[in-house]
Amino acid sequence: MPADLRTTHKLASPPRVKRRKLRVRGTDVTLLEQVRQLAVADLGFDIEFESLDFLTCQHRAAMDPLNYDIYEQCFHNLDIVWYWGALQPINTDRITQWDNIGNLAKAGGISKYTWQGHGDAPVRKLYVQPDGTLGQQPMPQISMMPTAHNVDSFGFDRRLFGDEGPEGSSWAWLLDRRARGRIALVDEPAIGIFDVALAAEANGDLTFQDIGNMTVDEIDSLMALLETLRQQGFFVGSWVSPDQAEALVRDDRVSVQSMWAPSYGNLGAMDGIFCESFPREGYRAWHGGASLARHLTGAKLDMGYEYLNWWLTGPAGAVMARQGHYMTNPEGVREYLSPEEWGYWYDGGVARCDLKGPDGKTVVRMGQRRPGGAYRERVSRIAMWNTVMDEYNYAARAWNRFIAALGTATP
Amino acid sequence: MSRKPTTQGQEPLYETISRVLRHNIVSGRLPQGLVLIEGPIAKLMQTSRAPVQASLRMLNAEELVHRFRGRGYLVGADGQNPKPIRKALDEYDFDIPEDLRSTLAVRGTWLRVYDQVEAEIAACQIFGEFRVIETELADYLGVSRTVARDVLSRLNERGLLRKGATSHWLAGPLTARTLREKFELRSIMEPAALRLATDHIDPVQIARIRARIDRGETKGAAELEDALMRYCLGRAPNSALVEIIGNNRLLLSSMDKALNDLGLPVDTVALDQYRTLFDLIGSRQVDAATEYLKEHLRILSFKSLARLKIVALIPESESIPRYLVRV
Repeated sequence: MPADLRTTHKLASPPRVKRRKLRVRGTDVTLLEQVRQLAVADLGFDIEFESLDFLTCQHRAAMDPLNYDIYEQCFHNLDIVWYWGALQPINTDRITQWDNIGNLAKAGGISKYTWQGHGDAPVRKLYVQPDGTLGQQPMPQISMMPTAHNVDSFGFDRRLFGDEGPEGSSWAWLLDRRARGRIALVDEPAIGIFDVALAAEANGDLTFQDIGNMTVDEIDSLMALLETLRQQGFFVGSWVSPDQAEALVRDDRVSVQSMWAPSYGNLGAMDGIFCESFPREGYRAWHGGASLARHLTGAKLDMGYEYLNWWLTGPAGAVMARQGHYMTNPEGVREYLSPEEWGYWYDGGVARCDLKGPDGKTVVRMGQRRPGGAYRERVSRIAMWNTVMDEYNYAARAWNRFIAALGTATP
Repeated sequence: MSRKPTTQGQEPLYETISRVLRHNIVSGRLPQGLVLIEGPIAKLMQTSRAPVQASLRMLNAEELVHRFRGRGYLVGADGQNPKPIRKALDEYDFDIPEDLRSTLAVRGTWLRVYDQVEAEIAACQIFGEFRVIETELADYLGVSRTVARDVLSRLNERGLLRKGATSHWLAGPLTARTLREKFELRSIMEPAALRLATDHIDPVQIARIRARIDRGETKGAAELEDALMRYCLGRAPNSALVEIIGNNRLLLSSMDKALNDLGLPVDTVALDQYRTLFDLIGSRQVDAATEYLKEHLRILSFKSLARLKIVALIPESESIPRYLVRV
């Protein structure tokens, strides 16, 4: 091609301005398209979401640390990525709303009188200690900026278990003989193990000295119990993503199963039949957040901080609320929700109209009331947190073998 | 009662090496002033460097070789001041007598095989409990079953393997509990060894390590941990204690190695801690050094527990040799 032609061509094309881009790696708990669009509109740079399942996300965040800028996950997934050296400490003096971040993350409980819960309470992983480890002694640097969180239980079929009554339901229902053949579990080891451990302890089959940090013997006993139940045909199978869990309910294949908050709005005809429990033993909680990749420096690091700060400005929190999750600074979210939304999701009041989820579909019908009540009520009843315990390597391998066997047992 | 003469197969390796070198020096095959360095000798005799070092020290005491200003030893007694000759051993008529050659060959195979199996068996334990199939091992290594069994017995002595109820060889699993127990042992034994070793530690050696840290020449915490073992704890005048400490560390260092091979970054905080530790040892602040070592081990234990969680992300099938079967 002659040189002059090339020059002509170049002049004819519009000037290209390269837009700055921030790459976020996380899970679909927080990586919602609505959130991305709101962030792009407010921040003036492009944002790319890479949404992965829990285990893949954690694995890639550790092993492939250069191909993301922000890691959005839960505090219980943090250890592994942190000690791999894939992240950098966050300076709290660059978090504009640091003072508004809730005590549930910062101090361990909603008030100093509430029990912190077993396992990986976020405060135990929050502060970067001088020796490079993570701990709860307050320090000017943190590992992950707290954002969305929630308390989970399990879902049950009222036709089998009846209404909860004044005593509430019990985790024991998750391994209840009445539901034999119609029980499903979530496959994630840092979550699924604790659902069944809470159940086994509640029904008296097992006791754990510290359910948030089981011993090898306790893990062996739990896995032996599960294997026995599996052979007796207790389980339908396991699920990986919430839509699989929802499908199991809609197809009426389960009477009780592990289930997460956003799923209760997607049950179709089973809405009102399959309910979110309010277990008397307390909830299994989780706390999400966002971390900065180790490689960020200069202008890119500034963008990282801008994005982190944006998370606390309210719009993202409103999207989270519409799928049932709380934000670490509830008051910052309030003005972005309608009074009806705030009343239902945060205050635990009766829905005064139908409420829509993040994607615009109705997820709450007028007249419904959130099980467990208001924010404060719910988060002050945390039995334990999702946890990557000391014996995680041992437990996760045993759990994964069980889950694999479960898969083959139920086609 | 007279002592039974030891056969060559049982004598320490450095004795055998000494006999080969002595034979070549006395017969005049190696000229006065030839520089002897452990590396090439070890290669020629298919051994590791340590026994060659021991052997050269022995020949030095016998005045068959002597130290000089350079690295290594010169052939001949001190005081003759020959000019150092730097040439490869195979340029001379270096001779390994037939009877010693077979001893060395067996030793060589054994050593080569032992290190490999030790590494593999230590590394597999993070994935769970495994049975070691002796025949498979012999086949896998291309050695006799006798050699395979010897290797496994040695691993058993060193605490990396155990015999199960049905006499099978079992390894693992390495759990958080194992890790905690091993660190607890470390914090009991290692400060005690450091205290015992105080008067036997070479200050020049410590200064050398400190200088390497300052110049940023150390390749990671593992190297400094080795140096601590070799030049400090290992100097304790209680060989039984030193051996137990060494064995107790085996599994821990192999886990570290496995993780480092996967690309775990250098722990700079640990490097700083070793710097302080060697400072205290170098300045003979015994109480402070032992207390600091305890604190260092406490932090290391905490980090090791966190690192063990990382292992959960590593798929098992990629790294397990076929002589190991999951229990």
